[in-house]
Amino acid sequence: MSYLTVSTLEEALTSLSDSSGKARVVAGATDLFLQDLPHSLVDLSALPEITVVEEKDGLISIGAAVTHTAAASSSLILARARALAEGCSAVGSPQIRNIGTIGGNVINAAPAADAAVALISLGAEAVLIDVNRETRQEAVENLYWTYNRSLVDSSKEILLRLLVKPCLGGEGSAFTRFAVRRALALPMVNAAARVKLENGLVKKVRLVAAPVRPAPTRLIQTEELVINQPVDKDTLKRVEVSAAGEVEVRGSQLRCSARYRQHLVGVLIARVLKIAADRADPGKAGD
Amino acid sequence: MKKQVIIFQLNDEPVEIYVDPAESLLTVLRDRLGLYGTKAGCSKGECGACTVLLDDRAVNSCLVPVGKVQGCKVETIENLSRGGKVHPIQEEFVDKGAVQCGFCTPGMVLSAYALLKENPQPARDQIKMAISGNLCRCSGYKQIEEAILSAAKKLARQGNSIT
Ligand SMILES: Cc1cc2nc3c(=O)[nH]c(=O)nc-3n(C[C@H](O)[C@H](O)[C@H](O)COP(=O)(O)OP(=O)(O)OC[C@H]3O[C@@H](n4cnc5c(N)ncnc54)[C@H](O)[C@@H]3O)c2cc1C
Ligand code: FES
Ligand code: FES
Repeated sequence: MSYLTVSTLEEALTSLSDSSGKARVVAGATDLFLQDLPHSLVDLSALPEITVVEEKDGLISIGAAVTHTAAASSSLILARARALAEGCSAVGSPQIRNIGTIGGNVINAAPAADAAVALISLGAEAVLIDVNRETRQEAVENLYWTYNRSLVDSSKEILLRLLVKPCLGGEGSAFTRFAVRRALALPMVNAAARVKLENGLVKKVRLVAAPVRPAPTRLIQTEELVINQPVDKDTLKRVEVSAAGEVEVRGSQLRCSARYRQHLVGVLIARVLKIAADRADPGKAGD
Repeated sequence: MKKQVIIFQLNDEPVEIYVDPAESLLTVLRDRLGLYGTKAGCSKGECGACTVLLDDRAVNSCLVPVGKVQGCKVETIENLSRGGKVHPIQEEFVDKGAVQCGFCTPGMVLSAYALLKENPQPARDQIKMAISGNLCRCSGYKQIEEAILSAAKKLARQGNSIT
């Protein structure tokens, strides 16, 4: 066996266990094909159960092999998890989005992968199954080992789907990024927010920025600062200062200096919080 | 990887090849099947010169391990001209001066073709988005956008489907 496109999950798990660590799963291949290829590949992109977006038990279930194009145009994701639609539309180019998948984006573990940043702001949980048929559920931010390395060993374990609580009344989400071009440019910073308002005050919030650490990073101090506050000019000013102050970032010769990146974290976090809050406001259109 | 037999639909004809499945679709098209219309630019997903349609969607063939196209439908620029006549999109590229050195053209035309298949009356912004994965180092894009807009109009006037 060397390149196998599987049509059932059972087939995928059997071929992984038969090759005892020498095979690895692949989805769109947009990341993997540019890296050192393993001995064999098990292609999941035609597995029916992991290529759908559906509502199940009150949650949005997004198959790991859903492409960025499909996620960005899913009416369910657009209506109830808007940050993810925005994150997916920011990835690479149409050609990359047409074949690159959400699961690949998470498991490739780039620190500022656009879909992963959006998913973490939404509080997404990953559902995984290993070659022993054991399943586990894990918050997406807990799947990172270090820069560009996932804790998930794709020669033994398959990410099946991502579960997101839909944004309903009073909740909104948003994603944004800043890069030198609108297409085919990795972000200097990307940021995403999910917020729940009650009577105009923030009751719950998740603010995520990247690249800060190996995993997209929640800005816990800034989240605490906005609890029970209105999302007005004054709060946003304080959010900007707090978010920039809360992170320690690295500069990159290709993208931008550390100082500029830190400044951008503040600006973009305030910006996504505002957009998410506008979407959450029941007086305006839903998320 | 060990060679294996890959069978797929290429430009409406079945193809069967015995090849290393980890070879890119781009090199298989050019070096094994002699279809030189698909261009090799960066070979890492950045330029769009290698764009082909895989099951009707534009993808970078340089990033597709050929093992992936098993049982799929692949369309290259060679499939657009019929009976010695080029496709209306190609005619408009010529008429509007959207071709200079021509290296990006096959990929640009295929991105336009994929767009018009899905959305026969695109707005200019949708055109810009559709070709955002195709770099042109000569034209500045304006003529390319014009060509795609007028190809859409022409196809609508002719009342014919895009294929
Ligand atoms: C030119 C270019 C531009 C890009 N621009 C961006 C960008 O702007 N933003 C961005 O975020 N990314 C970008 N990327 C990166 C990449 O396209 C995305 O991360 C994409 O989502 C990867 O998905 P894939 O299906 O192609 O992954 P693959 O390459 O198939 O897999 C990636 C990794 O995940 C593992 N894997 C895949 N699916 C599973 C699964 N279900 N279970 C377990 N393991 C799995 C694989 O073994 C591999 O290690 C770009 C890539 C290129 C080439
Ligand atoms: S050659 Fe494939 S994108 Fe450049
Ligand atoms: S015409 Fe020369 S690159 Fe586009």
